[in-house]
Amino acid sequence: MLRATLRSFLAHKGRLLLSALAVVLSVAFVAGSLIFSDTVSRTFDRLFASASADVTVAPRQGLRSAVPTGVVPTLPASLARQVAEVDGVAAAHVDVAVRNATVVDSRNKPVGPTTGAPAVVSNWQVTGHSPVRLTSGRAPRGDGEALLDADTARHAHARIGDELTIRAQPGTFRVRIVGLATFTTTHPGTARVFLDTPTAQTRLLGSADRATSISVDAAEGVPRTELKRRIGRALGTGGHALTYDLKTADEQAKSAAESLGGFLGIVKYVMLGFAGIAVLVGIFLIVNTFAMLIAQRTRELGLLRALGADRRQVRRSVLMEAALLGLAGSTLGLAAGIGMAAGLLRLMSAFRVNLRTAELVVGWGTPVAAYAVGIGITLVAACLPARRAAAVSPMAALTDVETAGAERPLRGRAVAGALVGAAGAAALAGCAVVHRTATAVSLLGAGVVLTLVATVTAGPLLVRPLIRVLGGAFPALFGPIGRMSQRNALRNPRRTGATASALMVGLALVGGMSVAGASLARSVDHQIEKTLGADFVVQNRYFQPFPPEVTDRVRNTPGVGTVVRQRFAAVAVTLPDGRRVRTTAAGYDPQLDAVAHIDYVHGGTAAALADGRVAMDAGFAGKHGVRPGSVLPVEFESGRRARLTVGALTNQDMAEGFGIEGGVYFGIGTLEKYVPGTPDAALYVNAAPGTSPDRLRSQLTKALAPYPDAQVRDQADYKELVHDQIAVLLRLVYALLGLAIVIAVLGVVNTLALSVVERTREIGLLRAIGLTRRQLRRMIRLESVVIAVFGAVLGLALGLVWGVCAQRVLALRGIGLLTIPWSTIVTVVVGAAVVGVVAALLPALRASRMNVLAAIAHE
Amino acid sequence: MSTSAAAPGRASADGIAARARGLTKKYGSGGTAVLALDSVDVDIARGRFTAVMGPSGSGKSTLMHCLAGLDTVSAGRVWIGDTEITGLRDRELTRLRRDRIGFMFQSFNLVPTLNALENITLPMDIAGRRPDQEWLDEVIDTLGLRDRLKHRPSQLSGGQQQRVACARALASRPELIFADEPTGNLDSRAGLELLGFLRDAVDSLGQTVVMVTHDPGAAAHSDLVLYLADGRVVDEMEHPTAAAVLDRMRLFAGSGPRPSGPRAARGPLDEDGVAVEGA
Repeated sequence: MLRATLRSFLAHKGRLLLSALAVVLSVAFVAGSLIFSDTVSRTFDRLFASASADVTVAPRQGLRSAVPTGVVPTLPASLARQVAEVDGVAAAHVDVAVRNATVVDSRNKPVGPTTGAPAVVSNWQVTGHSPVRLTSGRAPRGDGEALLDADTARHAHARIGDELTIRAQPGTFRVRIVGLATFTTTHPGTARVFLDTPTAQTRLLGSADRATSISVDAAEGVPRTELKRRIGRALGTGGHALTYDLKTADEQAKSAAESLGGFLGIVKYVMLGFAGIAVLVGIFLIVNTFAMLIAQRTRELGLLRALGADRRQVRRSVLMEAALLGLAGSTLGLAAGIGMAAGLLRLMSAFRVNLRTAELVVGWGTPVAAYAVGIGITLVAACLPARRAAAVSPMAALTDVETAGAERPLRGRAVAGALVGAAGAAALAGCAVVHRTATAVSLLGAGVVLTLVATVTAGPLLVRPLIRVLGGAFPALFGPIGRMSQRNALRNPRRTGATASALMVGLALVGGMSVAGASLARSVDHQIEKTLGADFVVQNRYFQPFPPEVTDRVRNTPGVGTVVRQRFAAVAVTLPDGRRVRTTAAGYDPQLDAVAHIDYVHGGTAAALADGRVAMDAGFAGKHGVRPGSVLPVEFESGRRARLTVGALTNQDMAEGFGIEGGVYFGIGTLEKYVPGTPDAALYVNAAPGTSPDRLRSQLTKALAPYPDAQVRDQADYKELVHDQIAVLLRLVYALLGLAIVIAVLGVVNTLALSVVERTREIGLLRAIGLTRRQLRRMIRLESVVIAVFGAVLGLALGLVWGVCAQRVLALRGIGLLTIPWSTIVTVVVGAAVVGVVAALLPALRASRMNVLAAIAHE
Repeated sequence: MSTSAAAPGRASADGIAARARGLTKKYGSGGTAVLALDSVDVDIARGRFTAVMGPSGSGKSTLMHCLAGLDTVSAGRVWIGDTEITGLRDRELTRLRRDRIGFMFQSFNLVPTLNALENITLPMDIAGRRPDQEWLDEVIDTLGLRDRLKHRPSQLSGGQQQRVACARALASRPELIFADEPTGNLDSRAGLELLGFLRDAVDSLGQTVVMVTHDPGAAAHSDLVLYLADGRVVDEMEHPTAAAVLDRMRLFAGSGPRPSGPRAARGPLDEDGVAVEGA
């Protein structure tokens, strides 16, 4: 039996090829993502481990903000002396490093990559843990000298002796490049500038006795954990109001890796998403292939049964074949995954992240996952066809059944599809009316899965009615060729349904996401239109707050009228219902009404921004028992606490979106009192009476020319910015779609190729009685198109329903406007037709090349 | 070629519907080459029913395929009417088959997705021509298919399927109908019926039919029997009867044609069990 299985596997290897490709793709994405993230995290672990001091002392940061507040937490530099006296400390160094400075060359161009992260400016010190090495020139000495990292220098064409301008928080200063430093391990992708320590302290932190952290070298033989304990005791006994975070090198590396993990996590999840799509669509392909192969081999299987093979043996033989396919596909997929990871690492260097890594890290988990996924999906997918094969009766050997299963009743599917579909529809309806977000999201998820299962199950039932409609114009348009292709598509509804399902899944996801994305964009647009009253918004490219110089320049620009500053602060608000909510609050200048239209439920801007007052979203307030006049304890990121009185309640559509809960804001004076020196995050600017916005814009752009990171946006630009951010999401979705389509195309090719083989005699007959090759190709192409469009229509219909329901759920978070992107939908349908044409290329060519006589004589 | 100027049924003046000269077909090459047709000269007379007979491997099917433009020739020339088809390209050959030739095969004659009527008009539909309704009605009624027109092939008996195929071959009034063992898969009654229709097509409708068969009873319905052996036309017989055909066929029982042979009541060639009877 095993020999028969092997023979059969080898005999059908051509037909299994496309299924194998689906396995290869899924496995490649799984393996590629694992290898990539393993390699990157190993590389960065090494970097962080080598770059971390034995013990690091940093200011404690209890509260973190979802948007950058621009506040640089510091500690007194004198702490270094105190730490140095602790027993077991060999040396304690003062560290200064900031990410809020813009470094530009003499032509006001940023030296770092504008697509990446902002530059890091820090102090230069030679310790055993420095990730960089001075490779040319000399170390910076005193004010006005700096080192630049060599990679950045090369990209920015900067040389020793060139001047750079650094626009830091305390003010702008100029430096001359006196040397270049090269990363010994990995270039993290940001521009690095080094100053000597006193310069860094005064120029970057505004004070010669502050530091961002202290790094401590251990004396010979003192364990790091022991040292950390001793330092902790020494600092803790002083009764400091401020507390510090102490980390050993390992802990420091770990927390650095965790902050990087966010980015790596995204890359990993994106790739796993691709793998998921590949697996999902691949399963359809494999099920379909095996079902067709078994249908074709019905007589052969019947013969095996007649000769005495029992059902179990037949089933096992099919599963064995699947396992072989999975094994082969996984092996190839693993290899492809390694290639994919290598390619991704290459791509990273395009973003100037230079991973100096010689070898890819392939952990033991990678091959395990690869083979588990590859063999797992093929076996799961082959289960159903295997059962069907086992059910073949010995009589099948004797009768002339052309395609088993074609005419089997679909009643079972109808019942199952209807039941699951009803459950899914109920869940979707539920999610649209439920008011609790968490419940709505889980109902939506359940609804999506159930309706997908229902559609896949009932797909073959929909083939007849839908294709009658879709292909209805074919006979009129293409004559008998059209008629034959439409009927061919209707010939085996199971097969057509399963083939179209692969396309359907991908397009349903895309349909849903594009509706959600379009609704999001539209709602945000509406929100911007409704609330943004300013002529212009000045903001940093990276949404980093900017130095006061920018504000001054804007204020002094001719033609500027009202300027309202916006600052952010990380706060924790203790609410009357006992909950402590960590969120980001905003501070505004009192003239807020001139630049924003705020819908107050209680009070007004004056009451909201007055000293010691706070405003928040009325819905949020209601949920937590906050009333006008309530006094709320508020903790700021500086560690200072305040009691603020609720002065106003507002009606905000998106109060809970984007990680900012509650829509909390207060006067800029209040913010300055508790978090002094917070930089401005945005400026809302109105033109003075008599100045046209166009004129003001050119004036502002001119005034801000030395600050290339500061951008002037009007309402339209602002919308575009939001659209761009949504577009990034959608682009990802379209990339997923692309992959799903590639696999779905393989499925259509597969089905057509097998159909062509099955219909060899019919094709021979048609050719004999006068069908030209071109007509034959057109016939197959049209069949392919109608299958693809069927899948697209089914998928988009499902996706639209999902999208509408998703929007209902998003409406709970303020995405109140439903938009259906019809142009996208039409494009997708047209695209599906093109996909059909492409998928038919090879099968059609093969059919048209058939020898007429051989085809007629084909058994 | 798509022009219907060459009116079906009467293309050349000399009464020859198809002609081959020095027709040679070789399969394979070198030492293993098989000569299926060895310099065959043949004329198919217009308005007659010609049967091609011969033992298995005699080349009778190959001859038909080459005459019908289904197969390429190794050497020699073939004409349909006045058109030389040797050297035509695939597209021209396809058009020629579509517009000027009708086909019937032993089995699998019909497109399963089309109903009987659609199958009958398929060659004209493909060509984008409108069928001559009067003629179509006549053909359908002659073959008794009127109440079967909306049926799919799977809903028809074998005999009905072959009748549909026959109707298809006749419907476009081709210059020539090639039938390859058309009764091979039918029971004797349905076979006889079909042969009757072919006979009728020649006698009353003026069609030209070439039928390949190994059944002497079927051949007896023809006007002329061509005997093939080892790739050559070795004999022909006008106005055959089943008995005469059978007698002639017995000569092939050996290795080749012989001037005469012993008469026997039944031989191995009767294995089909088709009733042997006079035309």
